[in-house]
Amino acid sequence: MSPLNQNEHPDGAHAHFGPRPKDDASGFSRRRMLQVMGASLALASASSCRWEAEEILPFQKRPEGRIPGSTRRFATALECGGFASSLLVTSYDGRPIKIEGNPLHALDRGACSARSQAAVLDLYDPDHSRGLVQKFESVAYPRTWKEFDPFFAGVLAAQRAKGGAGLRVVAEPSSSATLAALRTRFAAAFPQAKWVAWEAISRTSELAGARLAFGKPVRTLPRVEAARTLVALDCDLFGEHPAALANARAFAKRHDPSLPDVLRVWAAECTPTSVGAVADHRLALRVEQVLPLMLALEQRVHAKLGVKVDAALQPSSPAPSGGFLAAADVASFLDHLADELLQHRGESLLVVGRRQPAAVHALAHRLNAVLGNAGRTVVYVDEPEGDRPEPATALAELVREMDGGAVECLVVLGTNPVYDAPADVDFRRALRKVPLSIHLGDYRHETGRACTWHLPRAHMLESWGDAVSWDGARCTTQPLIDPIFPRRTPLELTAQMIGEVATARDLVRAAVSPNASDAEWQRTLHDGFVANSAPATSVPVVARFDVPGVQPRALEVEPANGKLELVLAPDPRVYDGRSANNSWLQETPDSLTKMTWGNAAFFAPATAKALGVKDATLVKLKVGARELECAACVVPGQATGAVTLYLGYGRTAAGVVGGLEEESVETVGFDAYRLRTAATLETALDLTVEATGRAYPLARTTDPAVEDAIGEKGREERLHELLRETTLAHHVANPHGEAHEGHHPALESLWEHAEPGAVRWGMAIDLNSCIGCNACAVACQAENNVPVVGREQVMRGREMAWIRIDRYFTGSEDAPKVRFQPLTCQHCESAPCEQVCPVAATTHSAEGLNDMVYNRCIGTRYCANNCPFKVRRFNFFNYHKQVDAAGSEVQRMLYNPEVTIRHRGVMEKCTFCVQRIQAAKIRAKNEGRTLADGEVVSACAQTCPTEAIVFGDLADPKSRVARLHGEGRAYKMLAELNIRPRTAYLAKVNNPNPASSQHDG
Amino acid sequence: MTANPTSALHLDEPYARPILVDGDRDLASVTRRVCGVVEAPKPPRAWYIAITITSAMTVMLFAMVAYLIVTGVGVWGNNSPAFWGWDIVNFVFWVGIAHAGTLISAILFLLRQKWRTSINRAAEAMTLFAVCCAGLYPSIHVGRVWLAYWLFPLPNQMQMWPNFRSPLLWDVFAVSTYATVSLLFWYMGLVPDLATLRDRATTKLRKGLYGFFALGWCGSARHWQRYERAYLILAALATPLVLSVHSVVSFDFAVSQVPGWHTTIFPPYFVAGAIFSGFGMVVTTMVPARELFGLKELVTLKHLENMNKVILATGSMVGLAYATEFFIAWYGGNPYERFVFLNRALGPYWWAYWLMVFCNVVAPQFLWFKKIRTSLWAMFVISIFVNIGMWLERFVIVVTSLTRDYLPTSWGYFKPTAVDVCTFAGTFGLFLTLFLLFCRFLPMVAIAEVKTVLPAAHPHGGHGTKEGAHHG
Repeated sequence: MSPLNQNEHPDGAHAHFGPRPKDDASGFSRRRMLQVMGASLALASASSCRWEAEEILPFQKRPEGRIPGSTRRFATALECGGFASSLLVTSYDGRPIKIEGNPLHALDRGACSARSQAAVLDLYDPDHSRGLVQKFESVAYPRTWKEFDPFFAGVLAAQRAKGGAGLRVVAEPSSSATLAALRTRFAAAFPQAKWVAWEAISRTSELAGARLAFGKPVRTLPRVEAARTLVALDCDLFGEHPAALANARAFAKRHDPSLPDVLRVWAAECTPTSVGAVADHRLALRVEQVLPLMLALEQRVHAKLGVKVDAALQPSSPAPSGGFLAAADVASFLDHLADELLQHRGESLLVVGRRQPAAVHALAHRLNAVLGNAGRTVVYVDEPEGDRPEPATALAELVREMDGGAVECLVVLGTNPVYDAPADVDFRRALRKVPLSIHLGDYRHETGRACTWHLPRAHMLESWGDAVSWDGARCTTQPLIDPIFPRRTPLELTAQMIGEVATARDLVRAAVSPNASDAEWQRTLHDGFVANSAPATSVPVVARFDVPGVQPRALEVEPANGKLELVLAPDPRVYDGRSANNSWLQETPDSLTKMTWGNAAFFAPATAKALGVKDATLVKLKVGARELECAACVVPGQATGAVTLYLGYGRTAAGVVGGLEEESVETVGFDAYRLRTAATLETALDLTVEATGRAYPLARTTDPAVEDAIGEKGREERLHELLRETTLAHHVANPHGEAHEGHHPALESLWEHAEPGAVRWGMAIDLNSCIGCNACAVACQAENNVPVVGREQVMRGREMAWIRIDRYFTGSEDAPKVRFQPLTCQHCESAPCEQVCPVAATTHSAEGLNDMVYNRCIGTRYCANNCPFKVRRFNFFNYHKQVDAAGSEVQRMLYNPEVTIRHRGVMEKCTFCVQRIQAAKIRAKNEGRTLADGEVVSACAQTCPTEAIVFGDLADPKSRVARLHGEGRAYKMLAELNIRPRTAYLAKVNNPNPASSQHDG
Repeated sequence: MTANPTSALHLDEPYARPILVDGDRDLASVTRRVCGVVEAPKPPRAWYIAITITSAMTVMLFAMVAYLIVTGVGVWGNNSPAFWGWDIVNFVFWVGIAHAGTLISAILFLLRQKWRTSINRAAEAMTLFAVCCAGLYPSIHVGRVWLAYWLFPLPNQMQMWPNFRSPLLWDVFAVSTYATVSLLFWYMGLVPDLATLRDRATTKLRKGLYGFFALGWCGSARHWQRYERAYLILAALATPLVLSVHSVVSFDFAVSQVPGWHTTIFPPYFVAGAIFSGFGMVVTTMVPARELFGLKELVTLKHLENMNKVILATGSMVGLAYATEFFIAWYGGNPYERFVFLNRALGPYWWAYWLMVFCNVVAPQFLWFKKIRTSLWAMFVISIFVNIGMWLERFVIVVTSLTRDYLPTSWGYFKPTAVDVCTFAGTFGLFLTLFLLFCRFLPMVAIAEVKTVLPAAHPHGGHGTKEGAHHG
């Protein structure tokens, strides 16, 4: 409307894009009025032809294989931290609605983590950036690409003239070959420019460990499937590890009690992880104690080895002794573990967690070599990216340059250093000294707001790209939808910087499979990865290396306040904070603490007692001069003297879910980055804790705060009935013991039950395999349009999850065991909910499903009271209200059209994915055949990496689920109520070392 | 008690008919006294103050209900696992209160307990008003209030019956039947008195209105004969209802399988508790009402004392029921049930449990003493305790059982919201407003019936004379 006034802002870059002069309303002339009206008319008609006609015209001829209203699935990949997860995305009428694992991929095999699945929510998130923003004198102005492109071209031309001396790029580390190729050309175009990879969570010490042991950075590929003894040292092998899904699956296969050589898992870790939860032996240790433990283990192994090994494999330093190593449980753990490692030489596997120092990684490589595991249970591939500088060092160097005024134009690709840079690297301050900063990101988050320009980044589901999975296989990312809003990918922006005009698709193809035929390329896109692209594995030779001495403080059993260990770990749900605006993840309960919407400092019960810290109160954490007030949570199983705090919370500009200061949206949780300096990226050793005593309620779905002595006793009493477990020795001696554990009189029904139908849907859940990873919970949420209710409602106990993972602590408070039990509607054949509904809104189907008729439900909630499993969920409010409102069209695109959106006042619960059952039945009927076993898979069962959940037809004796129901360790929960659940649980069978079972079994 | 030559004659003297009405006791004076309240040009000042407060509370009730319906059940404290909270607690509380009226009217009538005559009218009115408050809860507590009518077996396009296996459906029938019969019974008894008011009316409006509702009553012998027969039939119909309503209400709990609900003792225990709470409420309202409207001679201390005896008896039954529950929880050997009862006494709601025991079991025991039983202040305080205790009993049953059922991972804690509290306070407003209107516009005491127990009605000896002892 008003032409840009070019003379008002003569200062270079802003000349074209300074704030426009505001119209003076009082002086509106007739001519001006007509101008405005004419322009409005033109704009109004222009807005209706925003889309390129080509894309939205209905198909004149239906493309082959495309049936309107049916779903299509495409393989793609999500990169996080430089590693790809291979995905299969379901698209409905052109809009992606659900992310699942790629069944063809060697690692993922159809499983998918909770975080990857939740990514689909971000695509439709109203906070997901939708337009360009330019900040001018701290006022934000909306811009368009048409405005940005010529401006940026000018900036780049100026930089090109200088060889890019003033140009810096900060980007997420990426394994993309396309980006690597572009970077080479970028380096040629701007020889003086620098490209810095920044990520808060790095694997540098792992690579340093490999370099120490092998002289080169290699990537370790654990092969759990070949192991009989798995030793996880501070390693969340099934959770945080980039190949967690494959590891977990292999674990479940090998932990099957019907095998002759059942896997035994040993874990030494700080906070209970998914590995610690399923471990047969677990030791709670501070992170710093793993090194002495490792040295002591190595010494014991060598002492018992008997044979002479290569000099390079000999222990290089004397093992420490005393301190915590002298404790009876630690000594016994070490002795029995050493014995077992020797007994299972070549079949054992030691894995070390990412945050452990290089020496521990190197020691594990050496011990694996000594035990003959290398090449059998563990193999190596060359690190695809080779050497790369430590991100924190590189970022600190960049900040120095920015402070020095050397940086004229900073391009930030995707990362969020203003939020997650180490606390002593003041990126925010340095950014103010950069005249032009351009941020390309999913969200206009902390960094996006601090930069002078923010550009919207295309979502993974709108992008072309490629990435490498942990085994080295190259995966492709392909868009399922055109960018809903004009958004670009980092690849496109990089190409723009070097002046390339090729489309992203061509760039990716040229980099990924330059010589592939069209058919091969189609094959690659179809599969989601380049066939046979995984590099060959090798077993490098361990060279002799020295290990730094063990600090005496590491041997202390319980360090004093002021010398506590602070562990800063990525959050299992929001990771480094990037998923903080994802409400599915925020509301997914942490598998250990059952906490939603926030983080808290974890204290061992003994440590909490010693420090006077109470659960659900505020504490002050002090590390050096830095302080953070945050909530405390007492976690049984946490190592004494160590306080764990998850990163990724306390976001001030995440969005309306994760916290947005500008719009007074409260932050979620506490920002642990404030305590994280370049020197204390993983742990800090001088933590002081001050209890404030002020209460801070935590939104936990299972709240220990409501438990008292009597409740605890009641829980203890019934636990062995609800969640049955035994040891392998007992199980072998008495294979049907668990099924017959509960005794009750003969059950009689008050009325006659309908004859079981020809099909009887049922489920089996193997407690022996569940690692509590929450993948099923998010899968269910996405599949069934399960609403999110928010922190306050969760605290009121109104969460809506259809499947939940019950977590129990068993055993003593000092050495507790963590147990998981996924729980959905059990579809009882004599369902107590059905009998009490006055309007018959919940009834039994002919196939044995306990159906919920939303239309008929009036919401008396009697059914939920009478449900002994409390799996029914009530819509206390209209939880979809926001999405019902006008202007939420994009958000609505997310919904699965096959599943009803439930209105307020209606009860809902797990349906066994009845929509999937119907779809499969229709498919089978169209093809004139009967359903095969495995054809109907519920969303939870489909995504479970350990295949702990199995769904199928109980009437078919050959089905997998029917076989599992017939297993000796199958039992039905609360069967004595004569409710006849359709879900059988398979009892957990622990496999403790027989020699040490007196202390841990 | 007023000084009175025959006051020595009491129920405990079996040879004499007890004195049931104090003061001057001719037929006309009863009419004057009772109708005087209704016909007074202005009610007492206290009535105005009271109705101002109670009608404000009623308005608050309607505001809360409107807010609830517009927003959702979430405005209350109900959660998972306590899907029921104060809604059902208050429902059962008010249904319990509604018990005294019909008990006094029907059962005592059939048992020829003539002392009931001066209190039955007010007690029946309270029954109706309490049923109004009680009936409100189940209809607004459902998630989709606008579809609550689906609870009734109405013909519909879905061709669906409600689920006859659901105790909630039985409840709908039980409460609505009880409300209907109670209303009929009350109205039936009112007819002769409405005719009296009609005949005494001085304005056209009063004459018209009372006349309309008096259904043409002219006091002929035939009218009386039919009236008494119908009254007897209705009494016989209402008597089983007294027992059935609360038995059915208790089925809501007993038929479910929630530990702490699923017990066979519930029907008799609920009925005893309901009578207990009903009489408690009658004492709570009648003590101030007889002062306020000058009816001390008709509603005598003797009446109040008799009611206190019923409170003592039913309170002791309730105490026995509590003990039995605990015994069975231990003796039955069901670990879930055992836990629920231990948890009631020692768990997070221990305060509610022990307060309940004090109010319901300990407090009424003081009524063993005649001095306390006949002291207005003492009985008023005890009746308040009974009201609180019986509310707590329902709270303990509903909330402690639900918040800790089978799976410890889904245990929770129930906390009411301000809307819960205001709604409950509002039902008291509604109850008291209706009661105050009743006191002002309808005869609080059954004039015709009271006359039958006056000595004047028995010239050859009757209530309050030695000669009456000879009559059956």
